Parts: sequence; C-alpha cells; structure tokens
Amino acid sequence: MRFVEAERRKRTINVELTSMIDVVFLLIIFFMTTAQFAKMTRAEVSLPQESGEQDPTPVEAGLVINITEGGEIIVNDASLDLTELEYLVKQEIAKYPDRSAHQLKLLIRADKNAESARLNQVVTLLQSLNIGAARIATEVPR
Amino acid sequence: MRIQRKKSSRREKEITLNLASMIDVTFLLLLYFMVTTVLAQPEDRLSPGLQTQRDSFVGSNSDFEPQIVEVKLVDGAPAFVLGARIFRNKQHLLEALKALPKAPGVFINVFDDVDVAHATAAMQAAHDAGFKKVTYVPAK
Repeated sequence: MRFVEAERRKRTINVELTSMIDVVFLLIIFFMTTAQFAKMTRAEVSLPQESGEQDPTPVEAGLVINITEGGEIIVNDASLDLTELEYLVKQEIAKYPDRSAHQLKLLIRADKNAESARLNQVVTLLQSLNIGAARIATEVPR
Repeated sequence: MRIQRKKSSRREKEITLNLASMIDVTFLLLLYFMVTTVLAQPEDRLSPGLQTQRDSFVGSNSDFEPQIVEVKLVDGAPAFVLGARIFRNKQHLLEALKALPKAPGVFINVFDDVDVAHATAAMQAAHDAGFKKVTYVPAK
C-alpha cells in the first residue's frame, strides 16, 4: 500500500540559484555597458578652502564654469576660450522664455591657485551679458 | 496492518539554497563600487553680485560711501587693503569689517595678479562679518 502524503514530504526542495544569478549578472553588465553616464560638469580643480554661505537650501547650478590653475576655462568637459564661453552663455540665456539673464544660475569653480586675471575676465564677460550675480564655489574645510 | 504517520517527516526536508555564487557576485559588485567610487569633497558657495569697476565706483546713487576692499599685491605679497589699512590675513580683515556699517554693502575689488584663494577669502570675510550685499569687482 502506498502512502502518497508521506512520499511528498520526503522530497527535498532544491532551489537552484545559479542560473538566476547568471541572468542577474548578465543584466547588470548589460545595464552598465549601455547606460549613458551623466556628463561630468565638475573638472578637477582645487577649490578655495572656505566655509561658504552654508545655505541649507542650495540652488542647483544651471551652468558650471571651471577655471583651472593654468587659467583654462572648462565647461562640460570642453575647453573654451572667452568668445566660445560668451556664445555658450548666450545660448543658455536664450533657453529662458523671456531671455532674462538674471534667471541663469551660474556656478564658477575657480582653482584657488589660479591668478584672478582669468576670473576677472569671466566676471567682466558675464557682467557685459547683464548677469548680475554668480556663485563662486568653495570647498568646505573638514 | 498498522498505518503510522511519520511525525519526523518535516525534519527530513532539506531546503538547499546554494548561496555561494550569490555571495561571489555580491562581493564582486561591492569591490567594483568600492574601487570606482570617488568621494567628493563637500562644496559650498559664495554668491557675490557682479559689477564692473566703472559701474560700481562712479555715479553711485547710494547715500553712503562705498566700502571697498582691494585684494592686490603689496610689496610682492597678497594683501587686503581697506582704506589706508593693509591686512595680511583674513582674520584681521574680518575684525576690521565687523566694525563697518553693513547697509551700504562692500565691494571686493580684485586685481589680476593675486590668486583666487585671496579673492574668495575676502568675500568670505565680508560674508562672515555680516554683510548681506557683497559685490565682486574686477580691478581695471
């Protein structure tokens, strides 16, 4: 006489995870290789060691202008001269409905060892485009 | 005939979960992220107004005299010049700025030959001294 119930209980439940892990790993590799990484807006610059304004609600920067120690202007990983920067800023201003330069959120990341000459040129350029304020990035000392 | 139910049948069940591969992959991913992670330094910002020297010093509508901190080289070394006083470090400038009236704001007039660190130090001192209106002015 057979007792089916007892037979069932004797079965071992073997969950084979190897295949699933293979698939998961394959998916991870797929997404890692096909993902379009966000463009790095922050170039390698050594920022001035200042505590800044410590504003609890910082506004996200629209355009980040990096100035390296050697005075090179880098925006979105591209090296620009002042004419190209002017064109780029004008393009950014044109994105706003009323083309108001005051709406443009600018962040200047200037290397602490760079001469102010380049920063002054950038500021003069921005001022000529009716940009009345900008933010200058600092590195909070630890 | 005796039919006896096995009471210990549940104990005989063996749920085999082979976790070795899972742990391998997890550990690999952990290592990958640890190696590729770049820890960014915390950043903050100073928000000065921008003006050219002509706009800021000539034809001011303010009733107050503009307060100007010049950041320039004095005797070959960077210095903060406030009127006739020359400061070599930020702390001394901060103390001097604290004594000034805050309403007119302060202009930070930066010369080309000083480094950015001193320009931002002057702005930071003005901010720390309590000035709400700090204006960056490139020197001509």
